[in-house]
Amino acid sequence: MVYFDCNAFMGRPARREIYPPAPGAADILAEMDYCGVEKALVWHAAQLDASPKAGNDLLIEAIQLHPRLYGCLAALPNQAKEFPPFDDLLESMSRGRIVAIRAFPLDHHFFLNRVAMGWWIEPMVSHRIPLFLSVEHGCDWAIVYSLLEEFPDLVCVICDHGCWGEDRRFRPLIERYPHVYIDTSNYLLDGGIEAFVSDYGPDRMLYGSGFPRCHFGGMMLAIQHARISEIARTAIAGGNLERIIQEVRA
Amino acid sequence: MIGTTDLAKEFWEKGRSESCPIYDMHGHMGTWGAIYFPRGNAVQMIGTMDECGVKLLVFSHHHALMSPDIGNRPSIEAVHQYPDRLRAYCVINPNYPDLAAADLANFEQHKDVFVGFKFLPDYHKVAITDPRYRPALDYASQNRLLVLMHTWGGSPYDGAEQVRQLAERYPDVRFLLGHSCHGDWNAAVLLAHDFPNLYLELTAVFDDRGAIEKFAAEAGSERMLFGTDLPWFDPHHAVGVLLSAHLSDEDIHNICHRNAVKLLAPFLKAL
Repeated sequence: MVYFDCNAFMGRPARREIYPPAPGAADILAEMDYCGVEKALVWHAAQLDASPKAGNDLLIEAIQLHPRLYGCLAALPNQAKEFPPFDDLLESMSRGRIVAIRAFPLDHHFFLNRVAMGWWIEPMVSHRIPLFLSVEHGCDWAIVYSLLEEFPDLVCVICDHGCWGEDRRFRPLIERYPHVYIDTSNYLLDGGIEAFVSDYGPDRMLYGSGFPRCHFGGMMLAIQHARISEIARTAIAGGNLERIIQEVRA
Repeated sequence: MIGTTDLAKEFWEKGRSESCPIYDMHGHMGTWGAIYFPRGNAVQMIGTMDECGVKLLVFSHHHALMSPDIGNRPSIEAVHQYPDRLRAYCVINPNYPDLAAADLANFEQHKDVFVGFKFLPDYHKVAITDPRYRPALDYASQNRLLVLMHTWGGSPYDGAEQVRQLAERYPDVRFLLGHSCHGDWNAAVLLAHDFPNLYLELTAVFDDRGAIEKFAAEAGSERMLFGTDLPWFDPHHAVGVLLSAHLSDEDIHNICHRNAVKLLAPFLKAL
């Protein structure tokens, strides 16, 4: 069983909470080793707290020498010419294990819609580049709903959807949009994994930890002993994320 | 596999441990409008408990908490259905003193069911220092019962300051701080230091990396209690966190069962 975490971050957040940050690749890899996580798709705290451009640069440099780490860049609108063009992103992706995009529209004061971000999201759809949105970090459900209404074929992974068993919020999206996925970080609901797999199959859920805010191992043990088939378990643990990455079109 | 010990290996491979049974000290049951529960009834919850090695769950039914018209009856029925796996907290809703008085009067008849009381101040919007809780607290003090209180950092109803006032006033009550003054972690540790009759219960603490580690290091694992809000949170998640948190096996044993067994001993002579 290969665990490939779709939702971890590195770097020192500007504000401190109870969790110890993972400043660099070595810190995150050490905990991955302790918990048996094979690979992780990571973003950088500076992408959210400082600036997407500065955070992207830190992230690319940090993961460069660590083949178990994959990168998730952050995006901004480009009307003010403050952010590189989309072709630069494609070049970054081709150079080294950059496989996904994140956006933090609430914190970064922009509208995640066709008017503001169509120039970026349209090619993401055609290249099948996944967009990761955290309803805890810089986004909310209303934004996710309106975005998907405009871009129904977008590959979109909804992360950090909270411990209140948000099925009533994400299930309508799963049913309507074929390329929407949810991650498991803080999906603590007892029996939630089994109910989801029973209703939608195993291909729409990704193991995500939320590390370093959360532990790697909490949802690992939940997945490991969920009442689902081994095929389903393998898909959720890492197979689905591998497939999504392979489906990105150059 | 998470961690390196034999205990970690057993949990990873079997999902439960023979040597480390779990006593879940904070559960619920039944439906609640704000959340979907795939496994919310007693039969389903016992199924989860079997899979995770939860030997006993002490709970308060959602309907007892949120519908005074229903009250504690569903909790009593569930414990009678599973007397070797369940015990309950008698819910006191201070907004209805007459009903609370009736619950208190009935407590004696259900000593096979109840181990103490459950207060939910943030939801009932009555501070735990309010005199309307006193009859239950006096009764708990006289009978050395457990009182599980929802506690949350910064709350005017059940924050650390309110807990402190209560703990000072009732040294013979075993107070279980549900959620451990969530977010106000330093205050929770300080309370555990200052009051030997007070325990840090871990429901919703498991999803904040660093809090478990802090409690074990600064308050001691002898003061920590396993809890999941079942049917809310999967006990496997909680165990996975304990294994991830670089705790010793002794700490994990304390948290999962040793501390709870000591607290529950007067109420579980038959088990």
